[in-house]
Amino acid sequence: MTEKNSTAPAIAVEGLWQVFGENAASALRDARSAGDEKSIAEKLKEKSLIPAVRAANFEVKSGELFVIMGLSGSGKSTLIRCISRLIEPTAGSVRIDGEDILQASDKRLIELRRHKLGMVFQHFGLFPHMTVADNVGFPLKMQGMGKAERRARALEVLEMVDLNGREDTYPRNLSGGQRQRVGIARSLAVNPDIWFLDEPFSALDPLIRRQLQDEFLNIQATLKKSIVFITHDIQEALKLADRIAIMKDGEVVQIGTPEEIILHPVNDYVAEFSKDVPKGRHARVESVLMEGIPANMPDDPGIRVGMSIDAALSKCMDLYEPVPVRDAQGELIGAVNPHELAKALQAEET
Amino acid sequence: MSAVETASQDQARRLQITRGSVAALLVLVIAAICRFWGEELTWLVSWPDALTVPMTDWVGAGVGWFLAVFKPIARVFSYLLEFPMTWVGGLLGGAPWPLILGSVTALGWLIGGARMAALGFFGFGFVVISGYWLEGMNTLALVAVSVPLAALLGAGIGIFAFEYPKLKSSVNVVLDVMQTMPTFAYLTPLLVLFGFGPVVGLIASAIFAAPPMARNVLLGLERVEPEIREAAVMSGGTRRQQLFLVELPAASQQIMVGFNQCLMAALSMVIIAAVIGGFEDIGWEVLLTMRKALFGPAFLAGSVIVVFAVVIDRMSAALAEPRPAQDKRVALGIFAIGALVAVWAVIAGWNPAGIAAMDGVADKVDHGVGQFTANHGATLDTIKNTSMFYGLLPLRIGLSDAVLPFTWGFAWTAQHSFVFYAVFAAIAALVALRGHLPQAGLVLIGAYVLETGIAQLPWAFVIFGVGAVGWVAGGRKLAIQVSVLLGLILVSGLWERALLSLYLSGASVAACALVGGVLGFWSAMSPRAWMVIRPVCDTLQTIPLFVFLIPVLMFFQIGEFSAFLAICMYAVVPMIRYTRHGLISTPEEMIEAATASGAGKWQTMFEVRAPYAAPTILLGLNQTILYAFAMLVIAALIGTTGLGQSIFLALGQADVGLGVTAGVAMAILALVADRLVQGFAEERKQALGL
Repeated sequence: MTEKNSTAPAIAVEGLWQVFGENAASALRDARSAGDEKSIAEKLKEKSLIPAVRAANFEVKSGELFVIMGLSGSGKSTLIRCISRLIEPTAGSVRIDGEDILQASDKRLIELRRHKLGMVFQHFGLFPHMTVADNVGFPLKMQGMGKAERRARALEVLEMVDLNGREDTYPRNLSGGQRQRVGIARSLAVNPDIWFLDEPFSALDPLIRRQLQDEFLNIQATLKKSIVFITHDIQEALKLADRIAIMKDGEVVQIGTPEEIILHPVNDYVAEFSKDVPKGRHARVESVLMEGIPANMPDDPGIRVGMSIDAALSKCMDLYEPVPVRDAQGELIGAVNPHELAKALQAEET
Repeated sequence: MSAVETASQDQARRLQITRGSVAALLVLVIAAICRFWGEELTWLVSWPDALTVPMTDWVGAGVGWFLAVFKPIARVFSYLLEFPMTWVGGLLGGAPWPLILGSVTALGWLIGGARMAALGFFGFGFVVISGYWLEGMNTLALVAVSVPLAALLGAGIGIFAFEYPKLKSSVNVVLDVMQTMPTFAYLTPLLVLFGFGPVVGLIASAIFAAPPMARNVLLGLERVEPEIREAAVMSGGTRRQQLFLVELPAASQQIMVGFNQCLMAALSMVIIAAVIGGFEDIGWEVLLTMRKALFGPAFLAGSVIVVFAVVIDRMSAALAEPRPAQDKRVALGIFAIGALVAVWAVIAGWNPAGIAAMDGVADKVDHGVGQFTANHGATLDTIKNTSMFYGLLPLRIGLSDAVLPFTWGFAWTAQHSFVFYAVFAAIAALVALRGHLPQAGLVLIGAYVLETGIAQLPWAFVIFGVGAVGWVAGGRKLAIQVSVLLGLILVSGLWERALLSLYLSGASVAACALVGGVLGFWSAMSPRAWMVIRPVCDTLQTIPLFVFLIPVLMFFQIGEFSAFLAICMYAVVPMIRYTRHGLISTPEEMIEAATASGAGKWQTMFEVRAPYAAPTILLGLNQTILYAFAMLVIAALIGTTGLGQSIFLALGQADVGLGVTAGVAMAILALVADRLVQGFAEERKQALGL
């Protein structure tokens, strides 16, 4: 992702509000005078309106896997529907590759959806009256692609999700995991740049879920889409994300890499999530580097940059003095104290 | 938060009880005033003539003007519709019967394999040998033309209501009116508009059959999973592509249910429309034979209708179910056999009209019925007279008038009234002491109604009472709504007739509620009982309204009791079904919880199942009421008084004003009953948190 910082973000969300209720737009305009988001939201609630998304601000870089995590009712599903404009946001802007899609005409929106956007749904959203191949080919049909071409492309994408041979069955004859593979294949059929996934694995059994997560990471490794991924599962978020946004009551409370979320939660709410997370597995050794490099360190125990704290600790468990940390080429870049590693693992007792 | 909620719910419930008692008390006061000072305050009892508005004339003039304007357009339409009618009629009537029999059997095979093929074959085979082949084909031709009309109209309305959600509630009102407005009522203006002929039946059946289609299309579209909808949007479909490529196909199952109901409604209506005559169809045949008291042929022709209904219903219902694909070659083979036999039949000059193999049967039925009524005439008369003198008549004109020395052996006097009220007051006091204040009020009100008779109730009492019920069921808005609606009937001068209709439908609904409730309960308790009751219900629900008149006429002749029986036979079905369904569809977890708490079978039934089923049973009652009103007008053919009779008279005299006004009055009665019961059902649902 580091090479992308020169280009514009794939998605830029600015001051996005979604308020449900009658005359939401004018009510929001009036409430704006109240000052900060909290008091605006309070004011809206007094009028029995529901502020489902409150002043969301974030950017998704090109090729980034951006996960929005929150419990049910936190507004994450509403947020992704605002970004894809499945519902009309009350205020704010959403830029996709610099184009404000909230200003886009219906025609332009259809155009974008036919070529640039793909979406996967929690309960798959497969068309029950179409075969697997027809489902996958549906967005292509909307583009106006011919039948034979459609089928060829559908088979190609189905191959990618490991469903070859099932193209002529109907969704009702597939298992949940297979159905979601179809959903993924359909969303990729037009080779979109932007990929929305709304809790794609939440309806699946844990084993299938892990399997699909791994395959999803593989697909992303080759395709490098810009992704907005919704989940309520912190483990899933940490496993997949480049960056995570945590939502609570319609508000984005923290945005950061998995490591930042785990090691530096901004408040108790976020900390509560990371409580049960095995930190050693997600935090990296760089986060506990010492200041300066002491002389006379023991022989290299083999700690490398990018190693998880778990792995690093296992290499220097029996040592009590600072140990060197080297990069992949073996260059010394810092040192770490084993008891700092151990300390980072401890869960807070409350 | 939840504590606050429960508190407010508790409060609401307490409020409800007080509201019920208050309403009962107020109505009781009105009843008392009417009972004791009715003689002096006559305006409270019967609406002054001076205040009656010549509504029928106004409506007649208004509708007449409207009809005059649209008549030319309608006549063109009527002319255009003649073409498909003649074509389809010629096709079905002119084609040799083996060809049609083969086609129906082949179609049956395609839809549902051997079972449906057999149904088609034997069903239409019966029509062939019944001797009513031509009439039957004429009826089918009417159905075949009216159903596409109705289905397209209905689908259009359904899609429209879905696309413009703001208009949904108004569309629903229109559909309600289309369905509750008695069919005879709009036959009259249609006759004026389209001229005499089968086109009227066609249009009437399209109007009558469109609402179920519209409702199911709307329901199906609304039930499409939001994610499927969103997937279509995200695929970049235009609104039209979303609708036609995704949403409608995804809703196809529900739409097929609508199509099935649409077909059945069209068939039913086509047969009813036969009363205007002019088209030699099977409904006309039934009517004709019935009028001549030829019960054998009437029975046979009625059976043909039932066979059509069953074949059409089962086949189209099978379309709505997921089903395996059948081998097309078999269907082709069956069709080929039919065609071959047809060719042979044409060459050999064999023709079904000459078969009439069932004429003997008809005679036998006729003879048998004649003999039965001759032998058991006394028994039948006793049944009829007992029900009339001790049941229907007191309900209609009250105990004070119905109790005569001639029937009851004594005359009703003031002393009787005193004892009567004393007994009921005692019961009411007992009920009140046990804490059921509203019910105590109801007991006394019931006593008043029983003594006075429904047809002689003071208008003030009726309107105020119904308004009070509305207030309890759905608040002030509903109360005002129903009072104003009834008020319209009052000032229109149709009030007495409306009360007569109310009495007959009320009596039938009460009987249905009792019998249907018991049967439904029994079916819920014993699967074996349901095995017997279910096919009976299925058949009763498939039979077009008209046919119900045949058996009651056979045994009880023309009269109010026959009408009452016919209404009950038709209207009892939903009560049975819904009661059973409500009682058995309690969530498994609740039953398990009850069993785990040590409840026995009956305890579970009364403590868990019955309360949970209450909203469903109320909906069943609602359906029963609507069914009863629908049948009421048909039953006017065999002798009822009231609005149904007016509508029927208007049809005979082409009196548009009377027909439409009486029809609207009937629709109002049905709508008021519908809203009240729905209100109670809604309240129960909310109390249960459903």
